[in-house]
Amino acid sequence: MLQLLSSKKHIIENILRIYIKTSGNTLCIDIDPKYDIRQIKNIVAPKIGLEPDELKVIFAGKELADNIVIEDCDLGEQSILHVVKVKEKVPKKINDYGMKPLCEILDDSMFSPISESRNNSISVEANDVAHILNNDTDANITSNQQVLVKKIHFYVYCPTCKGLKQGKLRVRCNFCKSGAFTVHSDPQNWTHVLENKQITGTCENDTQFCEDILQNREPTFAEFYFKCSEHISLGENDQAVPLYLIRPNLKQIQCLACLDISYDAVFVFPCQNDHVMCLDCFKQYCMSKLTERQFWQHPEYGYTLACPNGCADSFIKEIHHFRLLDDQNYDRYHRFATEEFVLQSGGLLCPQPGCGMGILADTDCKRITCQGCKYVFCRLCLQGYHIGECGPIENDDLNNQSTSCESELSCNNGNNGEIASRTTIKIMTKPCPSCKTPTERDGGCMHMICTRAGCKFHWCWVCQTEWTTECMGDHWFG
Amino acid sequence: MANIAAQRIKREFKEVIRSEEVAKCAIKVELVDNNYTELKGEIAGPPDTPYEGGNFVLEIKVPETYPFNPPKVRFITKIWHPNISSVTGAICLDILKDQWAAAMTLRTVLLSLQALLAAAEPDDPQDAVVARQYKENLEMFKLTARHWTNAYAGGPSVNPECDDKIKRLVDMGIEEHQARVALSSYNWDLERATEQLFS
Repeated sequence: MLQLLSSKKHIIENILRIYIKTSGNTLCIDIDPKYDIRQIKNIVAPKIGLEPDELKVIFAGKELADNIVIEDCDLGEQSILHVVKVKEKVPKKINDYGMKPLCEILDDSMFSPISESRNNSISVEANDVAHILNNDTDANITSNQQVLVKKIHFYVYCPTCKGLKQGKLRVRCNFCKSGAFTVHSDPQNWTHVLENKQITGTCENDTQFCEDILQNREPTFAEFYFKCSEHISLGENDQAVPLYLIRPNLKQIQCLACLDISYDAVFVFPCQNDHVMCLDCFKQYCMSKLTERQFWQHPEYGYTLACPNGCADSFIKEIHHFRLLDDQNYDRYHRFATEEFVLQSGGLLCPQPGCGMGILADTDCKRITCQGCKYVFCRLCLQGYHIGECGPIENDDLNNQSTSCESELSCNNGNNGEIASRTTIKIMTKPCPSCKTPTERDGGCMHMICTRAGCKFHWCWVCQTEWTTECMGDHWFG
Repeated sequence: MANIAAQRIKREFKEVIRSEEVAKCAIKVELVDNNYTELKGEIAGPPDTPYEGGNFVLEIKVPETYPFNPPKVRFITKIWHPNISSVTGAICLDILKDQWAAAMTLRTVLLSLQALLAAAEPDDPQDAVVARQYKENLEMFKLTARHWTNAYAGGPSVNPECDDKIKRLVDMGIEEHQARVALSSYNWDLERATEQLFS
């Protein structure tokens, strides 16, 4: 049940509505963001029949000390504070955790590259910048004692707002998903945040419950998640995907592409050199590589890109980063990814113009019927199905072409443009011997390398088979 | 898309202009059009090579997708080099193909091409005839390359013997460049070159 409480003692100028979640109840209270935790306890305690000193206020993985002010906690409208009863009444030592703001305690680890090596160097600057910029609005994480760096944001893809938004970090019990959870240590890098079971903590929701179930076989772990800070929370399941490669450009690094220094967020490639690109250039990079089909189907990450400077092991792991593309291009991204996946799984794409349906068929079956457009084609040459050997495609004589055109006519209701394109493709190109991608040779030698990122097959334009030293000796240049 | 390319090229253009290599007259760029999609490059033949003393003009076309894809570069000045087509000026250099990296610039491209002139890669040729000569008869290759540098790139080294042979073919009604190609391809064997030209 929700109860609406209002403070009668104070005139609240700037109202913030928050929820207080107790073990059995959720209260809704309107508070002044200038309130501190002590005042919150004073408001909440009588409502649940306890003394203020018996309460612990937990938020984002930390127990908040009495002197913490709400407005320093990145506590958006309709956020949830967890209040639990202190189990043993140990007299509180406020200074237990030290009074340093989290920006110092946490070393701004969130903003450093995943590579541990650079954590320290960046954190120093981050702190400096934080001190300079601490007049700004949104804060990020709450700490045990005080609250941290402002102006520095987490970036998320928010499925509700459908776009790149500022996000906020939250913590809950990995097991029972309760937000009444305190961490034993602060995460030191993105790995701690993104991967499971990195940071242990105490679930304060119903400690016995979690402990009993887990039977001390393993400790209780924290689970970190993100919410969008730009819309009012729609509840605990309203989450956002952290786009952790998008970061504030604290070091003011030049964009790899346009060479400008962006003062907004930038994209930091997961490479050893932490190459940086401004977001506009990143979008252009994605779009041009998408058009060229140069995305790579990574076995683990999916359809992705690497650092444009060719750095080793620099594939983008979180493919939600490609959500930065506009809807049309994101749809294209999805389609290409599916096609590449089908091809790499040994499947086929229907060669019929306008169809392109992915087909997974037995490898020994030569006669393929598309489930979508019902086109019947030969698996080996991707031409209309035929009995006997496939004809060499470059020698496709006119008779052959006219028959295949006829079959297309019946399928496409006489779409002349498509037939014309198809004829041109047939005349101008040869298929890659490995993946059948139609390839045009616009000069140079006979040594072809398939342009499809997933293929890269080396082949001979003359022999239409794999490139060999014989080709090199005999007809390298034709 | 063109925006990034143009903006980037503008900056790189300035970088080249201000570079110490320009001060030393080793490289040069000029604009061909106002929208930074086409430029004219120039590199000086490196010292202690057959190209020394020559100036080689390059056509540089900047694709819309620059710097995510390399610029398209070819030699306008005719040159005798295993990795450069003596016919089209097309260049075989990995960084202009799959080894391109977005951090490379006009300046690094020009310097790389200069380095290519100093160190040919005959095993990855663009011109099979030149590459064969380079591997089988290095002295003949150097002589030919020097002669081409003199004939097309303003190089100082005059070889009267070559000029004489070309003149004799020209006197027979052969166009000068055609004569030079034939002689160069046949190691300056006048008889074989003549045979090829009239066959």
